[in-house]
Amino acid sequence: MKHPLAFTLNGSPVLGEVEGSKLLLEVLRDHFHLTGTKEGCGKGECGACTVLVDGRPVNSCLFPALEAEGREVTTIEGLPRGTELSAVQQAFVEQGGIQCGFCSPGMILSVQALLDRNPTPSESDIRDALVGNICRCTGYVQIVEAVHAAAGLRRGER
Amino acid sequence: MRGRFEFLRPRSVEEAQELKARTEGAKYLAGGTDLIVRMKERKESPAALVSLRRIAELSGVRADGFVRVGSATPIADCIGDPALSSRFPVLVQAMASMGSVQIRNVATVGGNLCTASPCADTAPPLLVLGARLAVRRPGGQEDEIPLEEFFLGPRQTRLGPHDLVTGVVLDPPAPNARAIFFKKRRVAMDLALASVAVLLELDGATCVKARVAVGSVAPTPRRLESVERLLTGQEMKRDLLLAAANLARESVAPICDLRAGEEYRRHITGVFVRRALETLLGQARP
Repeated sequence: MKHPLAFTLNGSPVLGEVEGSKLLLEVLRDHFHLTGTKEGCGKGECGACTVLVDGRPVNSCLFPALEAEGREVTTIEGLPRGTELSAVQQAFVEQGGIQCGFCSPGMILSVQALLDRNPTPSESDIRDALVGNICRCTGYVQIVEAVHAAAGLRRGER
Repeated sequence: MRGRFEFLRPRSVEEAQELKARTEGAKYLAGGTDLIVRMKERKESPAALVSLRRIAELSGVRADGFVRVGSATPIADCIGDPALSSRFPVLVQAMASMGSVQIRNVATVGGNLCTASPCADTAPPLLVLGARLAVRRPGGQEDEIPLEEFFLGPRQTRLGPHDLVTGVVLDPPAPNARAIFFKKRRVAMDLALASVAVLLELDGATCVKARVAVGSVAPTPRRLESVERLLTGQEMKRDLLLAAANLARESVAPICDLRAGEEYRRHITGVFVRRALETLLGQARP
């Protein structure tokens, strides 16, 4: 049975009709065609599917779509302003925090949520915040550097 | 997800229980970080999920004389709650070690307990704190079940088919009680290989009350009453701490699986008990 579903997606109100068994990941990719959100393990371990619900990172592969009713969902597509990358995205590009790119949308959204909460994170704050985002390319060093750089950019340092 | 199921969103505990009783094969859904994974792995295939997320009564922490944590309160909200972190730091310490940010934002304390995994991280601290579960029976009657009587085996609890855990109830902490939690895992996201929580009330160097609970080293999280008895009323000397650690090693019944061997889990249990006692004694010294 399909249910109506209304929520805010990247700042705009949206309306859909979804099966009760659909997960948020499936609705974002298949219904709204926002394919920046990736499916990796499908079990909440790799974090490739991370999106923000009311500003908090969640694994969209385990999040029932209907639970998004009335909430604010942010995907990677919601971060840039037009063609201008967000500070976190820009820092990941500049610091080599991206190689194959599969983990990047989830990683960047986790960082976004971290910096919204804590504008000056220590290295251990950064590593704790990213425990649920696995990257198989970079070895994490450039990612941590990118987060420090993003924190600086957001404070207006260059 | 491939399996089809209905998704029901009640607004009250009564409605949730009625929907569940009326729908053959329905299960309650809290955060879903365990249940949805099991459904994807085809270990469970409920015909319907009764979501508990929209029931206001089940969310949040209330603190007056005692503290009541709503069963569907996300772990992240518990960690951020000032009453919990000031009164029961051992619980918050264990919660902060669970999963990832993403998991803690949706996983709930009630879900962690009702899943009844031997490695549930909230269980050892709640056991040493003497927590009780508030349970709503289908007729509307509310009972309390001491947590130490709740677990029957892996994924088995004393709950009846439509019973719903509405909250976790904690008495105010004794002013001289101190507690600590240790957990062994290989990398940050792992399930615990062994975990230990210890609570002590001391009068000088004498142990007035001891609570010791373990996770991942028996079919259920459980207290080690023999170790508690050994410590109670005694002066906390080095020999006693070593004896307690040895007794803890002998009192557990770990499995051997691909994550750790039986002997290793026993060994770690003993090490954690000793380290917990030493740490708590160190904190008690002026």
